[in-house]
Parts: sequence; structure tokens; C-alpha cells
Amino acid sequence: MPDFFMLTVHLDPEIPAEEMLRAANRFGYKGIGICSEHAEPARESGIYRGVEIRTNSVSELKRKLRRYWSKVPLLAVRGGDKKLNMAAVKDYRVDVLTNPCGEDWRGELKPQMLELAARNGIAIEFNLSAIIGSRRGERAHILRQMHENLELMRKYGVMPLLATDARSIYDLRAPREMIAIAALYGMEREEAIRALSEIPAGILTRRWKKGREVERL
Amino acid sequence: MMMREKRRYILFEMISEGEVEKHRLQNAIWDSFYSLYGDTGASRSRLWLVCYDSGIGLLKCSHRMVEDVRAALACIHSVNGMRVAIRVIRVSGTIRGALKSYSGVLPRNISR
Repeated sequence: MPDFFMLTVHLDPEIPAEEMLRAANRFGYKGIGICSEHAEPARESGIYRGVEIRTNSVSELKRKLRRYWSKVPLLAVRGGDKKLNMAAVKDYRVDVLTNPCGEDWRGELKPQMLELAARNGIAIEFNLSAIIGSRRGERAHILRQMHENLELMRKYGVMPLLATDARSIYDLRAPREMIAIAALYGMEREEAIRALSEIPAGILTRRWKKGREVERL
Repeated sequence: MMMREKRRYILFEMISEGEVEKHRLQNAIWDSFYSLYGDTGASRSRLWLVCYDSGIGLLKCSHRMVEDVRAALACIHSVNGMRVAIRVIRVSGTIRGALKSYSGVLPRNISR
């Protein structure tokens, strides 16, 4: 089996990162990527401390990208707003776009946006906690939206990332369970394995950004 | 002649904020499965909680529905108001196979 990683963990401040890593190891993950609002040093191997930029302003997004780029192993942008999504995928310094459809799941992924995400090596997150935490009509809507997103992402070659927006150990799900949930909206087993192993590992090693640093200079 | 459908035994571990009673967990599993697959899915699943005690349980289901049961288990986030997370340890065609290589404490009414 490949090495699995759970990125975009939003850990509750009262839970130690080491405890979360131990639980994640038990669930079958090699490492976790913790996203907070500010860069924090990681002391233990297997814990990657990243930053998730949350803002409504494009200028603030650019300012924060300048501040954190190459200082943290994981740079995520919380999307939702159409302008913000677009600004995020235009910038190759972004690793992951989270929450692209907004909190209410009413937003859509646009082809132009996906082309840019594919070109800039930006992964788009599928937050499975939205499926876990919803029921009936709401869940049906989320599953349909995720299915549409997946179809479009396949068409444009955008990398999917599977995560559960974990805040505590109770939000963790084992890789095989994640694969089973992802199958609910049509994700193939191999795609899901890649979205839990190769893609997050590539993000942490900046494999998808190869050559871009040179381009920037 | 009636064909006996192949079954699978799923050994799982549940981490929870507190002690969860078996019948409450069974209701949560059924509730999650119904919510995802409806009445027809539930009727095909032949889902049954064989035993559960102190965070370890054994489920029985149709061999065709293992992945569906896995998804339903993963979709359970709370039981009786307590946060939980379920992890499948092993899937096998026999109880003995499911318990093989598991060295932890087993529920009282089940032996290796």
C-alpha cells in the first residue's frame, strides 16, 4: 500500500498535534498536514504545518501568499467566492484550493478556473465531512455537486485531494473508508488512492511546482 | 433450492467520547445505511451487528455490500450525542478469519 497523508487538518487549539498524529497513524496515515491561519514550526516528523489563507479580499490574498510562499510546506486558500477562487488558481504559489463551492455548496467550478488550476499544479479539495455531516436533501445536493466537480476536474486534469477537514480525532477516517465515501459521488478507487497518497505527497515535496521557482526568478 | 448468499464479517474499532451501548450503535449503523442506500439497499445488505463491546465490534453483511457498509460506517459521526469515529480493522468470510491477527481485547460473547 502507498503512504497516505491527511492534509488540510484544522486542529482544535486544545488538541496537541502529536495526539492527532498518533491517531492518524493508527488510522493508516503516514503524516498529517495541519492548516492554521499563521505559520507555526513543526517539531515532530510526520506533522506538516501549513497555512490556510482565509480572506474575502484578493489583495490580502496576494499579500499573504507573498508572506508565506516557500516558508511553509503547505499553502492552502479557502475559496468560495468566485473572484477569490479565480485569484487563487491564477497563482502557482497556491498548493490547494479548499471549499471551492462555498459553505452552502451553491458555487460552481468554471472551466476557465479549472484550466488554470491544472496548469499551475493546484489541487482542489473534496471535503468529505460535508457528506458525513449532512443528511437527505442536503447530502443529495452535495453528492451531485461533487460528482459534477469530479467530472469537470477529470476533463481538465485537475488534481483532487481527499480530506475531512478534521478538527479532532473523531473527524478522522481511515483511507479505505475515505475511498468508500468518495465512491458515493463516482470517484474510482485508483483516483481516490492517488488523492490520498501521491497528490498530497507531491504537494508536500513541491513536486507539482517543479520549475516554477525558476520561472518566478 | 435456495442459494445461501456469501457473507462477510467486518471487525471494526470505534473511538468515542464515552461508552456507547450496543443497541444505540446498531440503530446508528442502520440509520446511516438507510440514509445512504434506502430500503432496497438495506434489504440487500443483510447487515447485522453480531457483537459490540468496549469499542470493538463485529458486523455481518452480504459479500456484495462490504464497500457500502464501509461507507455507511464512515458516515457515522455521533451516537447518542457523543462524537465517534469507526475504523474497519479486517474483513473476512468467517468470524475466525476476521479475528485472525487481531491481538486486542474482544467482546465478551465472542471467542477466537
